Parts: sequence; structure tokens; C-alpha cells
Amino acid sequence: MISSTRAFLFIGLCFCLLKPLYPKTEYPYPGDRPSGITLHAFVGGNIQVTPEKKIKGGTLIIRDGKIEAVGKNLKIPDGCREWNCTNQTIYAGFIDPYLLSGTENPKFLELNHDEHVHATADLSFHGLPSTGQDPGEKGPGFEVSGVHPQRKLMDGLQAEEKKWGELRKFGFTSAHLVPSEGIFRGTGPFVLLSDQEPNELILKNEVSQIIAFDPVGKNSSPPVYPVSLMGVLSVIRQSILETKYANERVRFEIKNQVNLRFMPHIGIQALSRSLGERKSMPIWIEPGSCLMNAKAMEIAKEFELNNPVIIATGDEWRNPEISLSPHHDYILPMIFPTIPDLPNPEDWEQVSLDQLRAWDHAPSMARLLNEMTRTISFTTSETEPGEFHKNLLQSIARGLPENSALASLTTNPAQICGVDKICGTLEATKLANFFIVAGETYFTENPKIESTWIQGRPFFHYPDNGVTDSNSTQKIKEQTSKLAQHPSQLNKPVLRPTSVLFSGFKLWTCENESILLDHDILIENGKISKIGPKLKNDMPKGCQVILGKGRHLTPGIIDCHSHAMILGRVNESTLPSTAMVRIADVVNSESVNIERQLAGGVTICNLLHGSSNPIGGQNAVIKLRLGESPNKLIFKKAPKGIKFALGENVKQANWGDKYTTRFPQSRMGVKMFFQNRFGAAIVYEKKLKNAAVKGLPFRRNLELDAILEIIRGKRFIHCHSYRQDEILVFLRTMEGFGVRVGSLQHVLEGYKVADEISRHGAGASTFSDWWAYKFEVYDAIPYAGAIMHERGCVVSFNSDSPDHARRLNLEAAKAVKYGGLSEMEALKFVTLNPAKQLGIDPWVGSLQVGKDADIAIWSGNPLDYRSRCVQTWVDGVLFHEIEALAKRDKNRADERLSLVTKAQKSLKKDNSIEPSEKAKSKFFHYSLESACDLYPHSCRSNENHAHCLHQ
Amino acid sequence: MGETTTLYRAKKIQATPSQFYQPGEILIKNGKIRAIGNSVKIPNDCKIIEWRNSEIYPGLISPGSSLGLAEINALRATRDLSEVGTHTPAIEGWVAVNPDSELIPVARANGITHSLIIPMGGMISGTSGLLQLHGWGIEEMVIKKQVALHLWWPGHGLSIPQPSLKSKTKPKSIAEQDKERIKRITEINEYFDQAIAYQKLKRSGDQSFVLIPSWEAMIPIVEGKVPIMIHADESRQIKAAVQWAQKRGYQIVLSGARDSWKHADWLAENKIPVIFRHIFSAPPHRSSPHDYYFKAPGILARAGVPLSIGLPLGGWATANQRNLPYHAAHGVAHGFSREKALASITIEPAKACGIDQRLGTLEKGKEATFIRTSGDLLDMRISVLGMVMQGDEVSLESRHTRLNLRYLNRPKL
Repeated sequence: MISSTRAFLFIGLCFCLLKPLYPKTEYPYPGDRPSGITLHAFVGGNIQVTPEKKIKGGTLIIRDGKIEAVGKNLKIPDGCREWNCTNQTIYAGFIDPYLLSGTENPKFLELNHDEHVHATADLSFHGLPSTGQDPGEKGPGFEVSGVHPQRKLMDGLQAEEKKWGELRKFGFTSAHLVPSEGIFRGTGPFVLLSDQEPNELILKNEVSQIIAFDPVGKNSSPPVYPVSLMGVLSVIRQSILETKYANERVRFEIKNQVNLRFMPHIGIQALSRSLGERKSMPIWIEPGSCLMNAKAMEIAKEFELNNPVIIATGDEWRNPEISLSPHHDYILPMIFPTIPDLPNPEDWEQVSLDQLRAWDHAPSMARLLNEMTRTISFTTSETEPGEFHKNLLQSIARGLPENSALASLTTNPAQICGVDKICGTLEATKLANFFIVAGETYFTENPKIESTWIQGRPFFHYPDNGVTDSNSTQKIKEQTSKLAQHPSQLNKPVLRPTSVLFSGFKLWTCENESILLDHDILIENGKISKIGPKLKNDMPKGCQVILGKGRHLTPGIIDCHSHAMILGRVNESTLPSTAMVRIADVVNSESVNIERQLAGGVTICNLLHGSSNPIGGQNAVIKLRLGESPNKLIFKKAPKGIKFALGENVKQANWGDKYTTRFPQSRMGVKMFFQNRFGAAIVYEKKLKNAAVKGLPFRRNLELDAILEIIRGKRFIHCHSYRQDEILVFLRTMEGFGVRVGSLQHVLEGYKVADEISRHGAGASTFSDWWAYKFEVYDAIPYAGAIMHERGCVVSFNSDSPDHARRLNLEAAKAVKYGGLSEMEALKFVTLNPAKQLGIDPWVGSLQVGKDADIAIWSGNPLDYRSRCVQTWVDGVLFHEIEALAKRDKNRADERLSLVTKAQKSLKKDNSIEPSEKAKSKFFHYSLESACDLYPHSCRSNENHAHCLHQ
Repeated sequence: MGETTTLYRAKKIQATPSQFYQPGEILIKNGKIRAIGNSVKIPNDCKIIEWRNSEIYPGLISPGSSLGLAEINALRATRDLSEVGTHTPAIEGWVAVNPDSELIPVARANGITHSLIIPMGGMISGTSGLLQLHGWGIEEMVIKKQVALHLWWPGHGLSIPQPSLKSKTKPKSIAEQDKERIKRITEINEYFDQAIAYQKLKRSGDQSFVLIPSWEAMIPIVEGKVPIMIHADESRQIKAAVQWAQKRGYQIVLSGARDSWKHADWLAENKIPVIFRHIFSAPPHRSSPHDYYFKAPGILARAGVPLSIGLPLGGWATANQRNLPYHAAHGVAHGFSREKALASITIEPAKACGIDQRLGTLEKGKEATFIRTSGDLLDMRISVLGMVMQGDEVSLESRHTRLNLRYLNRPKL
């Protein structure tokens, strides 16, 4: 047996086939029960050699735990123990490529939008290894929570007879055991599911580095970085950068013959194996949600990793186009949600279309993945083997070909685990891992498995679960076909014309003129090409015409402060500076808020990090192109931005009495904190320049990278602020670093220092009339917008809530009420002015020739409560149209109704296998993409202040 | 209250939701409306006030808020809106109102003249009182003390929590949860039965009788003298609550009433008044239409349900009571008639509070409490220019107008 240390040196070559694997010792000790002989022939049965090749009435010969020969009419060696396999079928042993292990009750990562937690971060500011402390992981290695790529599950390996015995009964003979904790989780071994001592079990010490998008920091008390999904993604990036830097530095120092060379720590050593040129250790990623599958592939590309194996969630039906790829291998769990037996008819009102869809899609997922990916493999993790089998049959009934199902249990997992030379088929020289089932096929309701052989050792199964012969021949039950739709089938643009003429509208251009009555506007290729009183003669061929009939046409509404389409937590609330986290990583293209806000005329949202820390995360400005992927939602021309925050939230004033130790705890400290981080960025820049000049390896720091961009004027600050003093001090502090602030957000006391804000040149993005929800907004007044406007500030009204975003036009009307602005100026508060604040006014925000055709059409004056938004166009594409939306709503209602009927029927007929607790609770689990819509992300509509850190 | 007779002349007077006078005149004396019409007979020595370009509406009544009970919701010291205990019928909302709360003049400044002050906390939280949003102290401001008892109907939702590693307790099965919700209704019945037993014992004069304030507070309820406001949102709650009240013969008002529109005809048939507080709530499911709740007031009103519109209850909504007219207005683009929208913030809440003989419309004999606006009350662009309460003009100055003036006048830098 190769020791684990030696194995470490021979990474990738660690098959333990050098010594005789079986029998255990050459000669049994007295008192030992001697093992049986090792030469067997299985005669007369069907042999499924590979998923495609089946021999009828063949012979299989095994010797010393390996397959010696397989075929028809083979000569059986002398002295062979013969097994009559007539009326039986032999299959290659099944392989589980992702058997979760390492804890008592290991679970898949299920990203959700759970309750907020707050942290008293004692960490270094940016989640990098610090000096002196040992904040994240105990011991050497990365000092960020959950980053322990060096861990080896093999180290504590023990046969888990209870679990494995059950798996053997269903034909499983080997598995890749995977760790189930952390972000960089480390590696697990590939083992035989046998009952022997650990040394005999291992076929491969390590298979792959497992990465999971797990916000592990929330499990600590107090919580530590990272608690948010975007935090996790930053941790992954920074850890890979750290490793790359360490390797560069080592190479540099070797080349320059430096004495006392830099020694990378064990975490970096472990991770290095997955990076660079060799890439000897594959990476597998468990992203935990449909959209995160795409993110996993993106990160692999970003860092030139080998295409990782993706652990699917079974939720890929939400957006197969982006979550599935023909260039990746996938592993699919077989946990199907179970319809609950609800006592009252009204209880079904509680059941959403989303839940019903998840239930109805589940059996079709295997087929979908099989068709859209390179390979799929199944895992039994978190299912009972009987339940797994039942779900497998359901998947086949929904169109997964039987040979694909077989491949997913044998050759595919063998290949991704790198054991395809020794496992997965019944070809000569491979391990004698197989099972024998009575009858023609394994794919029956109750397959009667006679025996399972692992490395030539038999495990006999006795019909202990009431299996009868009659059952074993039962054919697969016909399953109902799938009714549920993919959301993308409904989320399509209404109209995508190359050119369109809006004729006879009342135009609110939001430029210098007043409302233009009975005017035309011509759109070509997504841009405004002409505006004038009569443009009929300018129409290109095939131009669509939309008649105004007295309706109003305005620029699309721009919401300068939104959290409505963000996956996972909106706050990485742990560290006082989280400049490294990126909202762009977690844009929720599946959010229903896109459709709902389009219905209010909104075309652009500024998605912001919350306000729990002085330096928050990087923003993402998106266009509401319903149905597009997260990356295609992003408005690429928008300048980069970042969220900052001042006041009560960042000093944790309303977090409870426990939170008194994180710096800063006062407004005095807030100022100092900015000076500290900007100072650090300046020092960082010096080092960067020095490294560039001298060709030294440079240790990148994603936090300081972002702050440096601010200093260089390449990233706009959007700063949550309330009180006049903090606003002034912040502006002055930034001026000290030569920085002009992009926008002050909320800025409720901005009216007291309007002249100063105007002189500095910051925008003021405020609320129409919110006040008194906390002490620092006691002096907020609804006249603030008008006062700031009159004194020369660029003012906008934002929503900060998915509800208000549906009716920002009416929020703008309040600028007429309080302060007497003209109607056009008021509308600019939600169109041109936010565009200016975001630096996107060259392309959007007003109706001007050359600008993007982002347009809202209103049944009447947009500031009148009796008006509705009837159409919303983004880039000349019609995404919202009031009748089309009503039709879509009806479709969904019909779909839901038919699914409820189907679900209720299914309850009556099927009670064969009691579903696992997991399957029952899965029905009530909200996927990340849908859960995020259940939270309003606004203090203003929620009693629980814990949800309000961004406010 | 002015002894003199005063006449207000306006461009338009919206006397009731369905009746307006254009132009209009309103004659008041001793705080009461003496006459109203396009043109009324003017007595001698009558003071005439010209509101020529203005409109007059009845004062707006908020059917529930924590005005005066919560100043700054994030600050615990300024919150008096809920109390400990599951059954506290003797608790009264109005007694803890801070008459000098800065939030009160701000609400008033947009035409809110009255608010029902509802105590929260527990299943039976106590009784509400109707407050006039102007006055030197709470005794002057409270115009009706026991408007309703507040019963927060228990939840009927079902769930299967994820079996978590941390908690050792097994999640409850659906069958168990179903049993529990039946049990909760049984418990409500038992509480009211005990109150009836107490009342009987008290009447009997038996020596075993001991006076207990909580049961005392329940007597007017079980005697039907004070209605019960039941806070219920879901269909299951609403049905159970209405059926419960019918069985026991109690007069109720439904509050919250998120799903009430699904049962509009049934509620109308049974004449159950509804206070709808969810026009701006997020639709319940992702698949629900964006205007799911925008349409609800129209559906309820057309079915004939006596409908008031309110803001959600609780601390966060307290500072926003001034937006009451816009919660009603938002239904108008979605099938709620303007007439019903006006009714839902004037006469309907007056009826729900049992004070419609005195407030809610501008009719002869009713209280002279009205507001002066620059245009359609439901329009966000207009201003509220004046307010008369029981015949006297009331200041519309507030923290907001003061700060506005102060900083408007800050010298330019």
C-alpha cells in the first residue's frame, strides 16, 4: 500500500494496483476464516458489458479481483468456480461520483435567501491572510473561513457499512467520497463500497478539488466573512489570485537564487495543483443554484481552469440555456420534491406555480441534462437507494434512454473520476465490480439483485424487503407527461422590430423643451433616429407604426437605487470594507421584479450592495431585458460604481447591544476608516508601480484594486448618507483624495447642505417623502428634492424597494406637490437625472436622436394616478405590453391550475414508497432565484429592521 | 368652537363621494354644518371666507395607525405600539398617544383629520380609539374610546421546515399542523365563553365573583356593544374568522384582508366591512400578476363590500399616514371608481368606526371638519391648503414645513 505521504508526491498516479488486491494476505493466520477462491466463471446469463453492448447467454471470467475475459462461448478455465446465470443479467457495478461524506449528516449546498445575520468582524479588512491573528480557518493555510483546499477526506476514511450496504443492494460498488463543508473543501478518495479495512478500500487517494458556493461565514457565531453569495465568489477569486501570486513568487525567487525563499502555505500548495499549466487536480464545483452553474463556468474561464464538473441542483429547468453546457460534465442528484397531502382545498392557494413546476420538472431533468451537457452522472447523495431507484425509473419514463441511464451510473462517473481504465464496464482487465439481477433488466420497479461483487468478492442479497418474483418482472409504469413550462417560454419580448414609428404622441423628451404635442419619434436598430411633428415620410421599409391616440411617451424610468434583482444576501455585512464583492456576480435574471418593474415603465436599475459597511460592494447597472441572461442584462456602457455608506448602519447603531466592537462605531471613525482604506490603496499603488517597473511578482488585492479605481476616477461612489454633517465630512474627505462622488444616496438632509453638494458636483438620489423610520432621518422632509434642485444639484427619486419601483412615475409627481417643480422637471427626477448620476446620460435618460430607444408609453399623463404604463421598450424591443402581460398572466394561471389538478390526482394513486424527509421538505424549499423575490429589501415595508441594512 | 357663523366658498365642494357642488358654499356654526349647497342662504353677521380656486373635501380618516404610539420606529424608547401578553382586552390604544408627536402634524398636513389608534401585540391586543389629529391633549383628541376590540386571527399556513442540524426537534407533520389550527379556533371560542361565564356570574351577584379587569373589558364585546376588528389576510383566515363571527353573532370588521377580494361576493352578501391594507403589498406568488392587489379594491367595491383603505399596521407605516389618499388613488387606474376611492378614506372608515353620524361626509348637521385643496384630492400633484376641524381653522404647519422654510432661506454660498 502506498502511504498517503508518498501518494501526495505521486499525484495523479496513485492507483493502488501495484500489490495483489485480493486476497488480503497471502496466507491466513490460524483462526482467520480463509477467503474463498478468486477464480470464478459466470455462465449463461446476459452480460451488459458496456451501456451499449449486451451479450445474451455470455460468460464472464474473473480472477484475483479482475475481469479476465468476457464473451460468448468462452472456454472456462479449469478449477473455476462456476455460477449458473441463466435468466439473470450481469451489470457493471454502479459508481456514485459524488457521495457526500465527512460529517454525520452531509447535505448538498442549497443556496437560499435566509435571514440576515450581522457580524462583529475582527478580521483583517479584506479577508486576506493577516498577521498575528488566526481568524478564519484554524491552523496554517488560508485564513478565510471555509478555504481549506488542503483537507483530505481520505485521512479519516472508514467504511460506512450501514450506508454502503444499502447502496450495494442496488448495485453500487464504488464511489467518490466528497467533503461537504467549506468553499474550497479539499479532496476526497475514490473507494470501493466494500466492508474492508480502509487501506483495502481506496482506489484513488484524491479525485478532485471540490469548490462550493457556500456562504460558510454565516455558520459561525458571530458570523464571519463571507456570509453572502457575492462574498463567496470574491473569496474564490482572491484565493486563486493568492495561489497564482505565490507560485509566481516562488518561480521568481528560484530564478533569482534568493536565499531563504518564500514558502507557500499548505492551502496554496494544495490549490496550486489545480492551477497553472499542469492542472493535475481537476476542479469540481457545486454552485448550489441554477444561475450559479453559469457563474461556475464563468469563473473557470476567468482563471483558465479546466472545465469543472458541475454539481447540478435539479433546478436547471429555470434556465437550461445558461445553466447547462455541452462542454461540461454534470452530476445530478435524484431528489424529487414530493407533493404534500394538503387537508383543505384552500391550502392549495398557498402552493405556488414555482413549487409545482419544480415538482413536475424533476423527473425530466435527467433527460434534459443528458441532451444538453457533455455527460451526466447520477448521485445517490441525500436519497434513500429505493427512492433513488424509483426516481431513476421515472426519469426513464420521461424519456431518458436506458443506455444513457446506464452510462450515467457507470462509464460517465468512471470517466469524470479518472477511473475509467479500471471501472465502469465489464471489459477484460478491469476490476471485477458488478452485480447480478434476476431476469432481463435492472430497470423494473423491484429489481431482484442476487449478488453484488466488489473486486471479485461477493455480497449476497436476500429478498429482505418483500421482493417477490412477480414484482421483479413488472414493467416500468407509464408516467404522466410533463405539463410545466420553462419560465423562458413565457419571458419573451412582445415585439422586436428593426424600426418603429411612434406617431402622434405627447412627447416628454426630458430635454429643454416642454411637452411636445402630437409628435412622432422614429426608432431604428434600437436607437432613436428622428424626432419631429410628422415623420411618416422618413419611415424605412417594413417599419412598424404605433399610433399615439393622445397617449404620452416618456424616456424609460431609471431607478438609481435598487436591490430587487440580487441573488443571496444584499449585504456582505461582515467586514467594514467589502470593496471586492460584486453585484454583477449575483444578478438575478430570473427575478419576477424585472417583469413587474417593466410594467411600471422602468428600463434601468442601479443594483446596489447594502449599507452595512462603510465601503460596500461594486454595483451593477442593468437594463431590464426580460428573459436575457444576467450578463446580458448588464448595461455594459455604464461606468463602474461602488456602494459606500455612512451613519447609523455602518456603525451598527440598530443592530443590538452586542455589536460594539467593529470599527467604526461612531461618525468620527467613519471618516477615519475611509482615510485608512484610501491610504492603503495609495501605498498599494506604489507597490504595484514598483513591481511593474522591476518585473516583480505582485500580490493583487481585490479590495484595494477597487478602491484604487475610485482614486483614479474610474469607479463612481454611490454613498448612502443622511445627516448634513456626515455628508459634508464625506465630501471633504473624498476631495482630499481628489475624488468626485458620483451620487449621494438617500441624502435626506442634503437640503441643508445643497450648495456644498452642488459645488462638489455629486448627484443627490433621494426618496420622495420617507422619514422618521430611524433617528438620522428625523429631519427628512419631502421638500428636499425641490430645494436641492433649486440650488443646482442633480436630483433623482429612487425606489430602494421592489414595490416603489413599480410606481416611480407617481413618486416623481410628489416633486410637483412638495416644492412646486414643473411636471417635466419632476419626471426628470426618475429619467434624465438618475442617468446623469450614473454617468449613462450620453445613451439614455431622455428622448434625443442617437440615444437608446428606452421608452415608456402611458395611457395618460404619467404623473396622474389614473394613468397606466401600457408599453415599455428597451433598446427598441417591446418587453412590456399591457395586453401581452395579461395574456401571460392568464397562461401562468392556467398552467398552475392544471398542475394543481395533476398534483392532486397523483396523491390519490401513488403511495408505493414513503418519500424521505428530504423529498418532502424539498417541495417547500425555495430555490435561490425565487426566494430572493420573497424579500422586499426595504425597511419601508418591513417590520424587521434586520432586513433593512441597505436603507 | 366659534360662536359666529362662517361661510366657506369654494370652486368645488365634494360633500359626499357621489355628490359635489360646483361652485359650493358651506355654512357652519358651533362646529357643525348648518347648510351646504351651490349657494346657501347667508345669515346676517356671517363671516365669509373665500377659497375661490380651491376644493373642499371631508377630512380623511385613517382606519388604523400607530400615530402617537411610535415616533422613530428604530428607537425602542419611542415605541409604545404593542404590549406583552396574548390576551389583553383591557389595553387601550389611545391612552399612550403622545399628542406632541411630530408625526401627527405631518399626517394632518395632507388632509388626515382622524386616525384609529390600534394597539398591537398578542392575539387579543385590546381596544382602539378614534383620535382627532389636533388638540392640546389626548382627552381632547380622543373622540371615541372603544371603537373595536382587536383580534389577530391565528395563521392558517402550512409548512414543512427543513430538518435542520441545529434544532433537534422534528418538524411538525401537515396533519399535526392541521389539527393545531382547529385547536386554535377552539381556544378562541373558549376565551369568549369564559368571558360570557364571567358576565353571567357578575350579573348573578354570587359571592364568588371577583372583579378582573380583563374580563370586564370583554363584557361590552360579548354583549355586542363594541364590534370586533379581526385582522386576517389569507383566504383561510378570512373564511374561518367570518364563519366564527357569524356563528357567535358578533359584528365584525375585517382588517388587513389581503385575500378578501377573492371572496368579495360572499363578504358583500354578509355585509362584512373590509379595511384593505395591501394595495402596495407584493403579489403572493411569483406567478401572480403585478397588479394582483392593485385590482383588489375595485373588485371589492363593485361587489358591494363596504370598503375602507388603510396603510399596513405597525411602526414603519406610522410616518407615512399622509399618503393615505394615494393608497386609495392607486386602485383607480385598475377599476376602482374615484367615487368609491373617496368613500374608502372618508365615509367608509367613519362607518367602520361607528362615527358616521358625525364624520365622513359634509352634510347638514354633521361636524364641520373638512380640508381645502388645490385640486383633486387623489392627485399627487395637488396641495392641501387648509383644514377646518369642528369649525375652527387648524394650522398645517409641521416639522417639515418649518425645516423647509428654514433651509429655503439659507443664504446661498
